[in-house]
Amino acid sequence: MKLPETIERTEAYLAERFPVEKMNYASMILKKEVPVHRLSWGYYMGGLALFFFLVQIATGVMLLFYYQPTVSDAHASVEYITEHVPAGALVRNIHAWASSLMIASVMVHLLSAFAMKAFGKPREITWITGVALLGITFAFGFTGYLLPWHQIAVNATKIGLQTIEEIGAYLPGQMATWPKAMKEIIQGEASVGQATLSRFFALHVIILPLSIAGILGIHLLSVQLHGMSQGVDEKPRRMEKFFPTYFLKDLSVWGVAFMVLFILGLCLPFDSLFAYPLFEPFNAKGSTPDGIKPEWYFFWVYYPLELLPFWVIMLGQTVLGVVMMATPWIFKNTNRRTLKVLAVAAGAYLVVMTVFGEKIYHLFKG
Amino acid sequence: MVDAFLFVGLPYIAIVTAVIGCVWRARTNRFSMSSRSSQFLEDRKLLWGSAPWHIGIIVVLLGHILAGVLPQVWSSILTVPGALIAIETVGVACALLAIVGLSALIYRRVTSARVQAVTTTTDLVVVALLLVQIVLGLLSAVHFRYGSAWSTGTVVPYFWGLVTFRPDMTYVADFPMLFKLHLVGAWFIILLLPFTRLMHLLAVPLQYLWRAPQLVIWNTTRRRQHAVAATIQADSRRAFLKGAAGVAGATGLMALGVSEKALNFFKGPHPDPEADSALLQKKLQRLQLTAEERSYELERQRNDMILVARYAELAENKGRYFIDYAMAPGLAFKGKDGLPLVISAKCTHLGCTVGSELDAQGRVMCPCHISYFDVQTGKPNDGAPAKLPLPQVGWALVDSTGKVVLSRKPGESMQGKVDAALLPQCSLYITKPGRGIA
Repeated sequence: MKLPETIERTEAYLAERFPVEKMNYASMILKKEVPVHRLSWGYYMGGLALFFFLVQIATGVMLLFYYQPTVSDAHASVEYITEHVPAGALVRNIHAWASSLMIASVMVHLLSAFAMKAFGKPREITWITGVALLGITFAFGFTGYLLPWHQIAVNATKIGLQTIEEIGAYLPGQMATWPKAMKEIIQGEASVGQATLSRFFALHVIILPLSIAGILGIHLLSVQLHGMSQGVDEKPRRMEKFFPTYFLKDLSVWGVAFMVLFILGLCLPFDSLFAYPLFEPFNAKGSTPDGIKPEWYFFWVYYPLELLPFWVIMLGQTVLGVVMMATPWIFKNTNRRTLKVLAVAAGAYLVVMTVFGEKIYHLFKG
Repeated sequence: MVDAFLFVGLPYIAIVTAVIGCVWRARTNRFSMSSRSSQFLEDRKLLWGSAPWHIGIIVVLLGHILAGVLPQVWSSILTVPGALIAIETVGVACALLAIVGLSALIYRRVTSARVQAVTTTTDLVVVALLLVQIVLGLLSAVHFRYGSAWSTGTVVPYFWGLVTFRPDMTYVADFPMLFKLHLVGAWFIILLLPFTRLMHLLAVPLQYLWRAPQLVIWNTTRRRQHAVAATIQADSRRAFLKGAAGVAGATGLMALGVSEKALNFFKGPHPDPEADSALLQKKLQRLQLTAEERSYELERQRNDMILVARYAELAENKGRYFIDYAMAPGLAFKGKDGLPLVISAKCTHLGCTVGSELDAQGRVMCPCHISYFDVQTGKPNDGAPAKLPLPQVGWALVDSTGKVVLSRKPGESMQGKVDAALLPQCSLYITKPGRGIA
């Protein structure tokens, strides 16, 4: 293919994904309509994830006022926030709950968008950026987990990073050393220490927020440009105006979510879901305490990792990653019924592994 | 005799007549129950008359009814300091409001030609009677102060006597004429209830508070369309206002709660000096711990040998943690032969720190993924997640004079020898990989 032709085709491709003539208030806000049908609830999930993200920014900035990212002070400052700062426990607890709720709504958003075939032409970019946002959200969770610098945080991070090194054993020749090098770049020193904490802090509060903001911008722009995907096969009987009708409904869902979050934050400390000694400051000289595990949203990969050979999981993860990035093309001609079955199966797997993962693990490992 | 008629006979006549008459009128002429409206004919003055009159009289009447029906509740309210003054003030103010309103209504009724066209004689009687009655009440309130308090012991028992068919007029017999007239006026008003527009008391349009607005129009097509449009607009305005009020209220409450928390959060704690110094102390301890760890690092960079423990501190079934040259944890045991046993404690699977307790088979366990390592060889058990053995760590035994008596490099054989009796005076060191032993 000749170069001018390639350029022309790329241009045409992008013009279809980002139609400039639609980039105005009238067609992005005023004319946008939302279909009303059985699966309409799925349209709320992205907004909900966005809401929790906004809460994370607000509470995160608040925590920044007191948190100190050094090995000696990190745990003490978190303790100070929880025990001494007025409403500090509430703010930190909301930050913890909202992170979990954000990931939960992102997961549901992914599955419902998949089931509704919301990735079809011209929405490929929306889907790809969405997958990237999911990855960043998980990275937020992983980096944030280390910051309190307690036993479970440091030990879980150690294990998580060590997993990267494990990949080396399955790579040929010179490549075998790459994962280790990568781990050390992330870790910053021989063991998880001050350098790791500084790097994770920078990732968690600067790099990831900036990248999520950029990608989220593209994601939301695409959503507003192309409107809501129809979501079901038959033509929906009724359409709702996005502004103000649907927008107000979205806001009321946010209001309810905020109330739930606030009540959770007030009444149920997130830390109470773990055994206490895990929240002692990290002790470099002691043995690793029992019950070190990642956050619940990693269970779907953590428990299989415990049960199955490492290479199986790595292969599975790679396949999953490729399939997710290539979903718009792989499932181009799949009908919505099949997609729904796949989404329900994936959802069932996630729920079972998250809720019963530990039981399943004990079933096989005794 | 006159008193007996006015305060026992008249009340019963009035009540019986009112009850029978109202029931009869409600059943035979239902649509006459509400007061005939003249708003259609004149609505400017009506507003300034009707609104103050009704507001004033409703408040005053509710006060009378509450005191009469629930005297004990009423008395208990009055015991609150200032309540008596407040109630009297409100009562007098409302009576004045009612008088002003009623006067405006009378003026309107006798000056507007249109309103006169629909005015009956009974209307005029009623309105005059009401004015007299409320003026009498106001005068009583001003002349005989604190009626809201003294009435509970006089008028209320009299009223209850009538209701329970044990009329006792002694309660009211000695009242001044002014107040007696007020009482008689009340019975007259009740007597007139079924025969006049006063019956609209029993047709309070409470549903007006939440029903959609209705427009009364001349029924022509153009006006009808106009009215429909107006109704739709009013409806949507009502819905919008209701929604906006709800949203504004909720947002306001939320903002109030959130900003209270946020403000205090940024203001920060102000611990008392004792708590403050406790905090500072804790912080210093953590800093010292960190400094200690950092000094280990320096020590490992500079020294070829590092003290792990005195020999006497070693145990056979419980290892002693130390930090090796790679800043990773290690474990030191006393072997069965009495010589030290020094291995890395960093699990070869995912880098957790293995436990220090030996089990019956002489193994330590990694708690993360349950691998058992034999401390003699460092080898993991079969089927463990860890595949590689825990590496041995080079060590040296130094006697009390500072001389190395025994040492071992990983993978090499033991160098030197030591008398078992001298062992307790020795200390265990680890040696830097790649360096000779001094």
